[in-house]
Amino acid sequence: MRILIVEDDKEASAVMARGLSEAGHDCLTAPDGAYGLEAANQGGFDVLVVDRMMPRLDGVGMVETLRRQGDQTPVLFLSALGEVEDRVTGLKAGADDYLVKPYAFPELIARIEALARRRETGSVQTVLKVGDLEMNLISREVSRAGQDIDLQPREFQLLEFLMRNAGQSVTRTMLLEKVWEYHFDPQTNVIDVHISRLRSKIDKGFDRPMLRTERGAGYRLEP
Amino acid sequence: MRLPSVFRRTPFRLTLSFLALFALAASALLLYIYFASRAEAEGRAQAGIQRELDALTAIYRERGADALNAELIDRTSKGGPYLFLLMDRQGQPQTGNVNESPIVGYQGGEQWESFRLSGADAQGRVARRAAMGVQLQLSGGELLFVGEDIGDTEQYLYRLSMVLWGAAGLVFLLGLGGGLLVSRQVEGALGRLNAVVDAARSGDLKPRVAVLNTGDELDELGGNLNAMLDRLEQSMASIRHAGDAIAHDLRSPLTRMRARLEVALIEAEAGRVDGREALALALDETDDLLKTFNAVLSIARLQAASDIPDPEVFDAAELATDMAELYDPAAEDKSLDFQSEIERGLDIRGNRAFLAQALANLIDNALKYTPAGGAVMLRARHRSSGEVEFSVTDTGPGIAVDDRSRVLERFVRLDDSRSESGAGLGLSLVQAVAELHGGRVDIDDGPGVIDGYGPGLRVALVLPVA
Repeated sequence: MRILIVEDDKEASAVMARGLSEAGHDCLTAPDGAYGLEAANQGGFDVLVVDRMMPRLDGVGMVETLRRQGDQTPVLFLSALGEVEDRVTGLKAGADDYLVKPYAFPELIARIEALARRRETGSVQTVLKVGDLEMNLISREVSRAGQDIDLQPREFQLLEFLMRNAGQSVTRTMLLEKVWEYHFDPQTNVIDVHISRLRSKIDKGFDRPMLRTERGAGYRLEP
Repeated sequence: MRLPSVFRRTPFRLTLSFLALFALAASALLLYIYFASRAEAEGRAQAGIQRELDALTAIYRERGADALNAELIDRTSKGGPYLFLLMDRQGQPQTGNVNESPIVGYQGGEQWESFRLSGADAQGRVARRAAMGVQLQLSGGELLFVGEDIGDTEQYLYRLSMVLWGAAGLVFLLGLGGGLLVSRQVEGALGRLNAVVDAARSGDLKPRVAVLNTGDELDELGGNLNAMLDRLEQSMASIRHAGDAIAHDLRSPLTRMRARLEVALIEAEAGRVDGREALALALDETDDLLKTFNAVLSIARLQAASDIPDPEVFDAAELATDMAELYDPAAEDKSLDFQSEIERGLDIRGNRAFLAQALANLIDNALKYTPAGGAVMLRARHRSSGEVEFSVTDTGPGIAVDDRSRVLERFVRLDDSRSESGAGLGLSLVQAVAELHGGRVDIDDGPGVIDGYGPGLRVALVLPVA
């Protein structure tokens, strides 16, 4: 995957590029919004990671220009501004996701991959399949290896999100944001408990567990 | 040369300007009085002279020059303010009480003039008294002069204006003295205010303005200044406290992490371990530090915010239901009986994310401190006052009455809860969210001691009507 990193802090940008390269991605960095816009205009990026506060052209300005030009490449905003209205301004400018600094690296990778993935599966699907796990979005039925699984509405949403991002890490914060639609930091392991219930329903009785916990990152649904 | 300080002060300058204005107005008034009185006196004199002149010319016309002469002799012998002089065709004086006509260069017709008479005053000094008169050529060619001494009127006007000027001067002096006095007093009061502000500027927030409860503006200003300094001192103290607390709470985990990394590095260099475990532990600790840091930042921002960020009107019942659902499995995992009673239709105006966080913190605390087997109850309802109340009641150990207000402060963790994780920021955040929404946090007893559980705690977040 080709990723453009637009960030004025050279060190942060280098660390990010190295980490993303380790994860198997191809990275290009730009030191401010103006260069970033130039690079983005060359095209060919799957995801743009854009810092909000930069000299010359800031993140909001850059993404607004990009969207005006009709470029729909997914954008992940990085910002030290974490207040709700900052998040809203960022998303309004045309960003697809918003990550507040300081962030954990797995969170960054998980979000970038989720953005790219969302783009790939743009077509409307009625059935999701991951390995022998199958989810019908119309009848809201779930089965694994032909065996029906009975899920609560929230468990269904949780599994749907995990299946849409199958093979990739999803973090607890991402789950709270995308499944429950709340933006905050739960103190205790609330998400873990939901996951373990879901796990007991889809993995119990099967030799190979699909829902894995990744240390320091979150969870991953493996086919 | 610099003027003494009092002359440079605002009250004194105001006094001066006011006095100048007063002097200008007084002068204008005096001039007006003077000229009006003078015109009035002259008009009166002129009318009198005209009357005399008319009477005399009538006598001349009807009875001839001799009759006029006799009349003049009669009039001058009786005395009075009027001056008369009858002259022959060549202008030689014949009859009258002045030696020669004061009107020099007579050109014919009725000629009016003002002039000065030389005479002696009561003390025998030479005085030039004001007078006016008219000269006329009679039909027989004789010249007749009639005038009036208006010296008394002029003297009166002169004395009047002197009195007025004197009074104005006195008022001016009194004003100046009063201005000095007032400005000295105001300067004193402002000086005391200034001294307090100066001290505050140089970092000493202790001094206060002495308030005399006179109810005037300066007193009010002093009171406001004191209140401002109190607030400032309080927030400085809380910043200092927070700074200390952050230092305390971040220093020990940072120190621990550093030591662990150092040992890991030494051991990895010696080839004994690969150091991965130490790195993983360090990562976990960093995450905890970031959480603490974010919480501190959130609270600080909430406290600094003047208005609710991104407010919306929404049904708090939904929010409460979501939170109950979110925490239900965690409660069950810990063998807690978690129930909720949520009234429908709880419209509130606020920030959804912050209120969710606050409610989550309340439930979180209850789950954390209630021992397994206990119960936690979430309620969301309207109070009779119309306020919306979220309350979380647990059967945990509770909080002693004396400690209740303290737990809302930042970083306060009661000693017996030190063993639990968390930075002691949960309730402070709830408090900050409540304050931002114009609400409050109430802490009360739980259900009491039952079956070895309790006495429990009831924490309520109360929000005003939408």
